[in-house]
Amino acid sequence: MKKMINFYLLEYAIGSLVRQKSKNIFITIILSLLTFLLTAVFFITSSIRYELNQTVDALPEIIVAQTKGGKHYDIDVSKADSILSITGINSAIPRVWGYYYFKNAGVNFSLVGVGEFEDDYKEILENGLLIGRGVRDVLKKSYFKEYFNFILSDGSLLKLDIKGEFDADTELESNDMILMSKDNLRKIFDIDETKATDIVVSVANPDEVQTVASKIQLLFPNTRIITKNDLKISYQNIFDYKGGVFLALFIISLFTFFIIIYDKASGLTSEQTREIGILKAVGFTIEDILKEKFYEGIIISLFAYIIGVILAFTFVYIFNAPLLQNIFTGYSELKTSFTLPFILDIQTLVIVFFLSVPIYISATIIPSWRVATMDAEEVMR
Amino acid sequence: MILSPEVLTLLILDFLFVLFTSIVFVISLQIWKSWDLNSTLASQYTLEKRSFLASTIIKFIFVIKIPLFLFFIFTLDKISNVLTGAMCGAGVLDATDVGNYLIMLKVINIYLFAFWLVLNNSDLQNPTQPYTKLKFALFSFIYILLIFEIYLEVDMFFSFEIEKLVSCCGSLYSSSSDSLISALFHVDNSLLVSLFYVNYLFLVIFYFFKNNYFFALSNTLFVINSVFSLIMFFGTYIYELPSHHCPFCFLQTDYYFVGYFLYGALFMGTFNGLVVIFKNELKYYKISMLFNSLYLVVVSLYVGVYYIRNGVLLSPM
Repeated sequence: MKKMINFYLLEYAIGSLVRQKSKNIFITIILSLLTFLLTAVFFITSSIRYELNQTVDALPEIIVAQTKGGKHYDIDVSKADSILSITGINSAIPRVWGYYYFKNAGVNFSLVGVGEFEDDYKEILENGLLIGRGVRDVLKKSYFKEYFNFILSDGSLLKLDIKGEFDADTELESNDMILMSKDNLRKIFDIDETKATDIVVSVANPDEVQTVASKIQLLFPNTRIITKNDLKISYQNIFDYKGGVFLALFIISLFTFFIIIYDKASGLTSEQTREIGILKAVGFTIEDILKEKFYEGIIISLFAYIIGVILAFTFVYIFNAPLLQNIFTGYSELKTSFTLPFILDIQTLVIVFFLSVPIYISATIIPSWRVATMDAEEVMR
Repeated sequence: MILSPEVLTLLILDFLFVLFTSIVFVISLQIWKSWDLNSTLASQYTLEKRSFLASTIIKFIFVIKIPLFLFFIFTLDKISNVLTGAMCGAGVLDATDVGNYLIMLKVINIYLFAFWLVLNNSDLQNPTQPYTKLKFALFSFIYILLIFEIYLEVDMFFSFEIEKLVSCCGSLYSSSSDSLISALFHVDNSLLVSLFYVNYLFLVIFYFFKNNYFFALSNTLFVINSVFSLIMFFGTYIYELPSHHCPFCFLQTDYYFVGYFLYGALFMGTFNGLVVIFKNELKYYKISMLFNSLYLVVVSLYVGVYYIRNGVLLSPM
């Protein structure tokens, strides 16, 4: 079999690249920056998606919410008992929670009522709160260091003491969270004893979730049933969509880049023309010159690709993606400042590879062909 | 419609392919119309130059197309998470009307492209360039197929309905479905498996006789027999599950991506086996036999190892 890589030609290609230093450095920098940007965005999305999927795994299988004409309302606690009669269900627990708007800072806190372990926490939560770190920082700015005043629906105040805060490990989930007893929560949101925000159902066999969900739907047609899988799919859709929109915008810069390369590769200096002439005179065929140009393209684009990916790795996983991260996590005051978990996302590397290397090489095909087929006598004149 | 980065990447590259192959198509028509190696006209000289451009572009597209095909399969697997009911690529392909034709067309196109390159190579090595008109006529045909493939691909990605329930591979590849595949379930497994091994035996015989036409023919049959026996028999040993007949699931992590290896070996083996039609060289026979044997050994090992470990076969032969 004929040798796959001609090392002399490869050496010549490198030499030729070095001779055209300024032009090639310019191209490499642009291509590296493009791959860097694209890779960084995909790394961030996949990290956040991973983190969120971890969170979803801890959620209950099914959430049942009451709707009236499509609008969300409090659900009857008694419905939990009827749901329990469906076979295959481990538990059906009414939850009480909601968002509380804190006007001073312009943020929403998530208020969660504790029921399941209430006995264990009874003393702490009797008149107290457990808060996330983000909440603590926001409250501190408004000088609420030891207690907080909730405004009830009738306009009076409910003073609760801050008894503790969450660990930093759970920041993605607990940053904007305030934990309190169900009774206090009912007072704040004016929910009476027979109502709850929603009912969470846990199902023993994951394969039965879909069936159980459709049974609940049949039992209460005016409820909205959300399964864990629905959440996962919508997460994937959201992040695919965000990454996709970014990529769609990115296409414009990709084609601009295509044109720049086409233009750069077409413009020949007299030095280069002379070089081609000499090569032809010493017996290079059109195929050889095309091959040499192809090597040049491969070297530049692979080099730029690797540089771009390394830059993206450092930017995202070492510097934690400043600025870019905000596109995906939002700008809220209570935004979580979590570190992006490291995931080696091979799929991203493949996507970025397909979007950089082939596009660069395709942009150089026609210009290199023009160069390779120049008439020797015309060039050497 | 699904707007995921993978799909967009495929679409962008499709666009590039259309752009470049259209250039080649125009050149092909010109060459087909007025190629004459003995002519000394300037137009012939231009055509000779252009034929270089054409073959460079085709080489480039082929080199991209192979990894892109793997990437396509991978994308299907990923989309299967989003479509309710689908568990692997099979369900995703079945979700639209065109999916199954698309995958077949993709495979055929890869064979044709590879075939074209071999033709091109032997054409350039011969000073009289005897195949030039033929190869560009062939390309015009490939071009039409390629455009059709890209049309189907775009159509498929745009017609996904995320809300719709699709079938999973377990139900698609079972005797209950009314597809072409279900007809296979009425054929005895032992017949399929013996056909597969007998076919391999023919490969060995024609390898020793170096009869290129029969060798190529047995290779064509070998593709069909391999795929059928893989779905019906060998696949079940990869999954260690007698009821699972999917040809896509073993492309996933759970089975260590063994599918890519199997299909790759099968492609390398049978493709080189087909090449001998015009290049009756020992090299191609050897490569073909090597990869076909590799394929055979690996699938047989799955059965063997299962038998040694458990002492029984999955289903009565």
